[in-house]
Amino acid sequence: MITFEGVTKRYPGGTLAVDDLNLEVPDGQTMVLVGPSGCGKTTTLRMINRLIDPSSGRILLDGQDIQQSDPPTLRRGIGYVIQQAGLFPHRTIEDNIGTVPLLIGWKKDKARDRARELMRLVGLDDSLARRYPHQLSGGQQQRVGVARALAADPPVLLMDEPFSAVDPIVRATLQDELLRLQAELHKTVVLVTHDVEEAIKVGDQVAIFRPGGRIAQVDSPERLLTAPADSYVESFLGFDRGIRRLSFLAASGLSLDDTAVISASLPAWEAAEQAQRNGEPWLLVTDADQKPRGWVTGDELRSLPREATAGDAQLSPYGHTFGVGTDSLRAALDATLLSPAGRAVGVDDQGRVVGVTSYERLGAAVEAAGPAADPDAAAGAEPAEPATEASPTGTA
Amino acid sequence: MDWSQVPTLTWESAKLGILPALFGLIISVPLGIVCVRFRWLYGPVLSVTSVLYALPSLALFIVLIPYTGLTDTTVIIPLTLFSLCVLVPNVVDGLRSVPEPVRQAATAMGFGTMRRLARVELPISVPIVIAGLRVAVVSSISLATLGQLIGVSSLGYLLIDGYQRAFLTEILVGGGLIIALALVCDLILVLVRRLLTPWRPRRRRRELPEVVADPVAALAGGTQ
Repeated sequence: MITFEGVTKRYPGGTLAVDDLNLEVPDGQTMVLVGPSGCGKTTTLRMINRLIDPSSGRILLDGQDIQQSDPPTLRRGIGYVIQQAGLFPHRTIEDNIGTVPLLIGWKKDKARDRARELMRLVGLDDSLARRYPHQLSGGQQQRVGVARALAADPPVLLMDEPFSAVDPIVRATLQDELLRLQAELHKTVVLVTHDVEEAIKVGDQVAIFRPGGRIAQVDSPERLLTAPADSYVESFLGFDRGIRRLSFLAASGLSLDDTAVISASLPAWEAAEQAQRNGEPWLLVTDADQKPRGWVTGDELRSLPREATAGDAQLSPYGHTFGVGTDSLRAALDATLLSPAGRAVGVDDQGRVVGVTSYERLGAAVEAAGPAADPDAAAGAEPAEPATEASPTGTA
Repeated sequence: MDWSQVPTLTWESAKLGILPALFGLIISVPLGIVCVRFRWLYGPVLSVTSVLYALPSLALFIVLIPYTGLTDTTVIIPLTLFSLCVLVPNVVDGLRSVPEPVRQAATAMGFGTMRRLARVELPISVPIVIAGLRVAVVSSISLATLGQLIGVSSLGYLLIDGYQRAFLTEILVGGGLIIALALVCDLILVLVRRLLTPWRPRRRRRELPEVVADPVAALAGGTQ
């Protein structure tokens, strides 16, 4: 647990970077500090490992005032990841990762074993162990940075804009990796970013800073989106709050329609009749393994020769699918919006079709989750695990 | 001409070239560290080393003779002082070449100031410091020949003796040997740098550090 008690940092010259900050970071959680540049979020982070000392107030780490500890000793117990990775160019990847273990007196062999273990953990190939940092891509370097921070298994991990120097695709991957690691390791993470989407994606708690080094609101991402404390927070969160809030509602809350799903082996005339009976303009055709093949209209089915099956029809692509057990309502809505049929395909973890959405069904699920304006109702709803908030997967 | 003295003279020249650069390095590293730590000191230190470099070497030899006599020391002291003019700035530039994120990461990992210097900042400075050392060694080898004027022997003997006897071959042999010695010392330093810094990106990207097969090409390609 990290506790800030009335912490103020005034730089020589009078700039007030952090103003009377009170904040608690619970054990095993990810606290994201987010705000515009110059809001004191990075200063706040660096005070935790004493790269910067506060002008007044106290910072407690598990109840101990950090001002009373020797900075190098304190820092060896706190992992630190920075924007450009900051790897030591003159050391191999394994020795970079082994930095803190070697500093605290491990034998070289043990440190190297540990380094390889961590390389596997962060998804780096063993063959990179003897390379030097300049031989790696930006994304790989950042993974090494994370591995290095975790090497001595510190309970606390500080991350200073860790993903902002890599391209958006790598960034999204690294964010997912962080969520995966955190689900496994349960570190107390403090992460600084200026990207509010990142904050909402990776944070258990998000502290929104306003210029002048004061906190505007600390809350879970879902509550921030549901009930921003004031107009500053609201404008900082940006547009689409309502849509983004759907990220926290599980797609499993949707009731899916399976009457519009037919097998490719079904005779076309029978399928056409079924479409008419249900008043469905579109039917989803699945193969023998119940994997989706594509959409077909009743008219198309009727135009086929008598002996044809539904699989012979000209199919429209089924687009993105969403995982019923893993994705959010937002993913389901997005997939529905993008589908030519105005309906999206929900699949199980084997990729088999469970059923299809409709706007009516989506509306009902959103309504059941409670109105966005009422924070208490929203807090009562079962939020989807942030780790499962993936974008729709499984393109045709 | 007497070829039998050539090995001794070459050895003397090498010694008078290398020792001042080494002593200069021993002085420059702590001085450079202090100049990086206390920025205001760097300007004055640079002025002093520049003034020292501007002093005529022969004048310095003569000033020193009463104290150190007609010995190697009389030549080594001024050449050491001259080497500071390139070595101090290179140590400072080397230390400043350490990227800020690297320095910050080292601090945040729990390196104390001294350990950070020894394990991170100085190793990263090596290429720039060695670049300075190459200049210092080569210029010391050439300046050391002047020691011959006060009787401190080196390859400079061949030049002066050849001149006095109007013996062109001896002058050409002396000059050629001095250049060859400078090139060999320079090459050795390039090799030392390669050994110490296998981590540097190569201009021609290779998977693994390669051994220099062609010294002349390496020397030609190694200028910086």
